[in-house]
Amino acid sequence: MTTTDPEIRIPDPIELDRLEEQRLRAAAGLAPVHAEGGEYAGFDTVGIPDRPPQTEREREVYTLEEGEMLVNMGPQHPSTHGVMRIVVKVRGEIVVDVDPVLGYLHRGIEKLCENATYTTVLTYVDPMDYLSTMHNEHAPAIAFEKLYGIKAPPRAEYIRALVVELNRIFSHGLMMGFLALDIGGLTPILYSFINRDEVVDMLSAISGQRMLFNFFRVGGVNFDTNDEFLSRLGTWRANVLENVEMNERMITDNEIFRGRTVGMGRLTGPEAIALGVSGPNLRASGVPFDVRRAHPYSIYDQLEFDVITQEAGDSYARYLQRIAEIKQSIHLIDQIMDKMPHGPVQAQVPGIIRPKPGRAYGAVESPRGLYSVYAISDGGPNPYRFRMRDPSFISLQAIPKLMPGRLVADTMAVMASFDPVMGGVDK
Amino acid sequence: MEHVRGPRPAAHALGRRRALSAPVVAGALIRLLGDRLGSELGDLWTDEDTVEFTIDGARTVEVLTTLRDDPDLEFFFLADAAAVDYGTDAHFEVVYHLFSWKHPAWLRVRARVDRAEPRIPTITTVWEGAMFHEREMYDMMGIVFEGNRDLRRIYMSPDYKSFPQRRDFVLPDDAADSPAAGVNPLERPETWDLSRFRDELTRSAAPTFLPTGERPGAEPSVEAGRTDADKSRPR
Repeated sequence: MTTTDPEIRIPDPIELDRLEEQRLRAAAGLAPVHAEGGEYAGFDTVGIPDRPPQTEREREVYTLEEGEMLVNMGPQHPSTHGVMRIVVKVRGEIVVDVDPVLGYLHRGIEKLCENATYTTVLTYVDPMDYLSTMHNEHAPAIAFEKLYGIKAPPRAEYIRALVVELNRIFSHGLMMGFLALDIGGLTPILYSFINRDEVVDMLSAISGQRMLFNFFRVGGVNFDTNDEFLSRLGTWRANVLENVEMNERMITDNEIFRGRTVGMGRLTGPEAIALGVSGPNLRASGVPFDVRRAHPYSIYDQLEFDVITQEAGDSYARYLQRIAEIKQSIHLIDQIMDKMPHGPVQAQVPGIIRPKPGRAYGAVESPRGLYSVYAISDGGPNPYRFRMRDPSFISLQAIPKLMPGRLVADTMAVMASFDPVMGGVDK
Repeated sequence: MEHVRGPRPAAHALGRRRALSAPVVAGALIRLLGDRLGSELGDLWTDEDTVEFTIDGARTVEVLTTLRDDPDLEFFFLADAAAVDYGTDAHFEVVYHLFSWKHPAWLRVRARVDRAEPRIPTITTVWEGAMFHEREMYDMMGIVFEGNRDLRRIYMSPDYKSFPQRRDFVLPDDAADSPAAGVNPLERPETWDLSRFRDELTRSAAPTFLPTGERPGAEPSVEAGRTDADKSRPR
């Protein structure tokens, strides 16, 4: 609708609606919705009912200057890692601020575990960080063995170290593929999954489960090695280096990959320590902190290996760190198979364990970093308190530090280099 | 790789109880802690790879800063921060686990928090990465960290009102405590008499769990070869 008379201006219906809404909101004492420069935008722009900001930081993120807008990444989007939602404040293509919003996969596993017996807790922790299931079971097994005052037989400890290193290899291998996928390379993820399936089939042969292994027990492991497992291990070991290197050749020197990762998301050692970043992400920043060396658990004090570190601390260094650790894990598996003793794989433990009242802390080096369990017993059949520290949950805090000033498209690329798993982040 | 398998010794020879005693190597750490922290140190206790002590909740920042910055201690890495609820007639506790290159033990610092007034100073000034730990503790236990500039809920939605990991927390849909208790006939004691329960189900229009042949209006199954169990399944 147009008019020739400049005196008469017919307002746009959308603008009329906005004016009416603002008038109603002002009458109700609410903050304006579509904020002009410098005003608090509220949450309605990103789908949660409007309310005043609860904290200083929330006001900072959701206050828009002229030319800024809020973009919602996730929670259901193919390029995010699981149901991850991050609110990104952008100015054009440039990220101004990032606010991770968690809890879309929260299942209350800690609370579930407090109502389960010590044996069944080891099944509940499986789906937490679903790419490092063996590590998820290892830390509670260590903590409960400390609480109960029992030790797993030596052969069980060797089998534990073996399956845990196999798990680390396929988890790191998948990270290579996911990182390339988020940058736009579709092929490496397919080869990553081929390599991963070989390991998963092997672990399925020893544990009976394909993804949620439920293999660890308090005082040992569920099964001894069998012929199928050993033959699969032999075939896999003969080809694994070649397979990993083939995937590596596709990615490492790729010009696009290097352009998107070298110098991106650079985290210095002291920053990473202050943020609580651990595992390969911390070692990529030059800090040689590896729980396997720092507080040797299981049999890691009997194995020879060096803690690998990188200098740069950027996405590319985090990727190189993963490859170096895959090769290190293969080397560890060779040592474990050479030294593996004979004997039982399970100590004698009653079906329902009632440890004496006490506290215990069990920590392991998972593919994403320091994964630890703090368990309190009150003498009953279930833990009084069961606390899990998930490494990817804590590592996510680095994203709001790294992204400001970068392009929106790099948000996912930097996040993928930290390799978070939402099952662990949301517990 | 057959050589790794072999005869099994008797299982009862294993699984001996192991003594919970302080490792000799932790002695130096305990002496140092006594020297640096003095009267702050309470209830010192050790197990095989952990040294733990309690502190006054209000002194958290000072104690943790000393532990981090003292050149002989150097507990530079915050491994974990967790809250524990010791019950409605007791107190909360915030538990910090620390790591140092110089000492072969995890350090566990337990800070007591009053349940009626659950407040404790934030340690995000000491370790920035304590932010998500503290947000989680606030979300799950309702402990307020004074000075934390982003104390929002992290897992539950922003309009959520309860603190689910407290010991006195009851789920709102727990049948017995819910305002909707009794909507389901199974929850009402009078329906525990099974004959009446069956009558009620038969009368109601809702689909029942009765076998197909007994449901009003349904034709009995005449198909040959099916067992009774199969008849109850929808086809």
